[in-house]
Amino acid sequence: MSLSKRIAPRHGFHLTGALLTLLLLGGCAPRQPAGEIHHYTVGTTLAPPAQQVFVRSLQGSPRTLDPSLATDVPGFNVLVDLFQGLTQFNARGQVVPGVATHWTTSSNGLRWTFYLRPDARWSNGAPVTAQDFVYSWQREVNPDTAAQYADSLSMIVNANAIINATLPPSALGVHALGAHALVVDLVEPTPYLPAALANSYFDPLYPPAIRQWGLAWTRPPHLISNGAFYLASEVVNGRLVLRRNPYFWNVRAVHLREEIDYPLSNSASKLDRYLADDLDFADDPAFPPTDVGWLRHALGAQVHIAPYYGTAYLGMLVHEKPFDNRDLRLALSMALERRVLNDKLARGLFISAYSLMPPLPGYTQQVPDWAHWPRARRLAEARRLYAAAGYGPGHELDVKLLYDTQGSAARQYMEALTLMWKENLGADVRLWNEQWKVMLQDIQYKNAKLYWSAWIGNYLDPNTFMHQFQVGYAMNYGDFSYAPFQKLLQAAQSSNDNAQRYRDFEQAERVLGTQMPYIPLYFYTSDNLVKPYVTGWHTNLLDVHPAQYIAILQHTVH
Amino acid sequence: MGALARYTARRLLGAIPTMLVIITLSFFLLRAAPGGPFEMQRALPPQVKLNLERMYHLNLPLWQQYLDYLGNILHGNFGPSFVYRSITVNQLIGQGFPVDIAIGVPALLGALLLGIPLGIVSALKQNSWLDYFPMAVAMVGISIPTFVLAPVMILVLAVMLHWLPAGGWSAGDPLYAILPAVALGLPLIAYAARVMRGSMIEVLNSPYIRTARAKGLPERTVILRHALRPAMLPMVSFLGPAVVNTITGSIVVEEIFGLPGIGRFFVDGAMNRDYTLVMGVTVLYGLLIVLFNLVADVLYGILDPRVRFQ
Repeated sequence: MSLSKRIAPRHGFHLTGALLTLLLLGGCAPRQPAGEIHHYTVGTTLAPPAQQVFVRSLQGSPRTLDPSLATDVPGFNVLVDLFQGLTQFNARGQVVPGVATHWTTSSNGLRWTFYLRPDARWSNGAPVTAQDFVYSWQREVNPDTAAQYADSLSMIVNANAIINATLPPSALGVHALGAHALVVDLVEPTPYLPAALANSYFDPLYPPAIRQWGLAWTRPPHLISNGAFYLASEVVNGRLVLRRNPYFWNVRAVHLREEIDYPLSNSASKLDRYLADDLDFADDPAFPPTDVGWLRHALGAQVHIAPYYGTAYLGMLVHEKPFDNRDLRLALSMALERRVLNDKLARGLFISAYSLMPPLPGYTQQVPDWAHWPRARRLAEARRLYAAAGYGPGHELDVKLLYDTQGSAARQYMEALTLMWKENLGADVRLWNEQWKVMLQDIQYKNAKLYWSAWIGNYLDPNTFMHQFQVGYAMNYGDFSYAPFQKLLQAAQSSNDNAQRYRDFEQAERVLGTQMPYIPLYFYTSDNLVKPYVTGWHTNLLDVHPAQYIAILQHTVH
Repeated sequence: MGALARYTARRLLGAIPTMLVIITLSFFLLRAAPGGPFEMQRALPPQVKLNLERMYHLNLPLWQQYLDYLGNILHGNFGPSFVYRSITVNQLIGQGFPVDIAIGVPALLGALLLGIPLGIVSALKQNSWLDYFPMAVAMVGISIPTFVLAPVMILVLAVMLHWLPAGGWSAGDPLYAILPAVALGLPLIAYAARVMRGSMIEVLNSPYIRTARAKGLPERTVILRHALRPAMLPMVSFLGPAVVNTITGSIVVEEIFGLPGIGRFFVDGAMNRDYTLVMGVTVLYGLLIVLFNLVADVLYGILDPRVRFQ
């Protein structure tokens, strides 16, 4: 998934700034706008149908509502309500059957057969067929579509050859068995396939709409979807209105009549509009660490801060000096005071990370032993490794750390981090700040030796994180190559036994920790504001909140 | 053909090289900026990147892309957006421009209907509280930036009092336009009042006003018939660029209130290297600047008999 949450693009001016101004203009304003915080009395029964309207924010305007082309978090957040794949996310972010009622796998795990529910319908009433999935997946890998996530289908036979234009899209290893069975042939066992299939780029498409309208098929009223909602209107950067799809196979379980989405990239505006009761759900309002305390005090249970499936770390070019030295990499990682950075500076909005994989049910995090050592012992070992790498007084490490322009909180974090290296090791690490796109280019062109990076997993499986360090994978920017790790990774990727895969991934991550080709900083949290009368909304690792499970409870505001 | 028509035609012809320079500079500067439209955290496989570049003709030599772009805009086609992949730049501008008009026009009308009378009253009641108070307010209006004023208005009028929406846009509902228009218009009103006051004081001290008063004309006639028209001249000079600034300067207001105007597209496009979107908005802004400067010059000539269209 493209990185949506960066270090903390916290807004510099919002209520605090406004109140300071009021203070300057009018005399004495309170630090916290306690006067405008509403309180609610919430009943246990659902509000009448007319009031079943859910208003939420998006982090920005969706770039497209074409499931094959979407790459952005706002787009995915809308598509999860418009379309339904073979599998889908439930309210707790778990993957459950969607259009497919069940599936079978061959003994070698290379052939999957999905059985589709016969009552699945498009929003115009037409039946959803296996051929709609075949069409969609072939379109995704077709070079003419130029889909940025096309390689997400690379586990399917011939996908890569089609992307590279050496085979036609019809050669893709997927075919329909009648209207309601879909056969998928894979290049290697992929036990996490059902989890991956819940992503938008595996959604079915309605071919007649695309043939008739071309790229404009996603504009209302042309967009035909098969999810719980259909698109009634869209104003780019304005708002999207989604209405309950009367043809959705499970429409009786959908309580919301309408969902209204406001793209709001400005965090201050998002918070203000939530406080003004314009929003029932403010997603990722990115409150500054200093505001966490009063927001929790003022809004209580409306503030939801929970683990999120993402890791921030520092990447390194490990095949070049100075980071070709393992001792130096380990020393730098050990010398950081993560609890100071994340608990004190970020006020708990980040969770200290000593390894790559965020918390995942069934997976044991591979925290290195040194993370539990007393501070003095850890720093002594860091200094020993730093010296063993050839650095010390008179010959300090002198390198630049690249990060992107994200506001004062990010800079504070980075300054604190480099100060720790200076104080604990003597290393001179200078900050180098660039705009996001420029930074990405510099990383991809290997112009930066040490850089800030992060990854948000797009399916609940260790593979989405671990293959970033796989030889040949496009995101292995640091060119990490270590045979024992690669061997374990390949063993995990080719295994059909999920429990064994997880053990292999764990062992691979332990090996990765000994080589430290990255410096883990923190695991993300999702921070959301949700009104107490919203039911069916739950925090979850992927921070996905399908509206088909959400309803509005009877409530009074006072 | 009259002198005015000839002057207008000449100015319009003169705008062509101006626009060409704007387009050329913008096109090449934008392409020279590091980072591309398809750069993502998740690196694209080389073939996918090639496919994208082919789709958007980025694989062609830059000069050819430039000539193609010139050809397209001559046909009024700004091309597809690189970031919003299902919508064209023409559609985005067509959607966003009416929003900017909807908040810009009331803001400008406010500047005219409030700023000018305030300036006149201040000038007529110079050094009285009717002068000091509006001018003090105007100074505050000029001094407080929009990014401070707008959140304070939201905090008080939307969050605390719940009188107006805190943001968003609903076409046809004037409630959503009030706060953005006020945030955009207050500095304009303040500027207009200051300009009008200064101009009116200068005119009132002119010999021909003294003559008019000496002839015994009523003060009302002196002000309305003899002072107002020449005093309006600096306002015309002010309003030409003000119209453009209102539209181009609404970026901050759009961001704070979450409005779907073209200013946000401009910023978003620049941050994401959406070449065609940024170019489209740049060309539009350039045309507006050329057009409204021409309108201001023509109006100046109509109001001031000393100006001749030659």
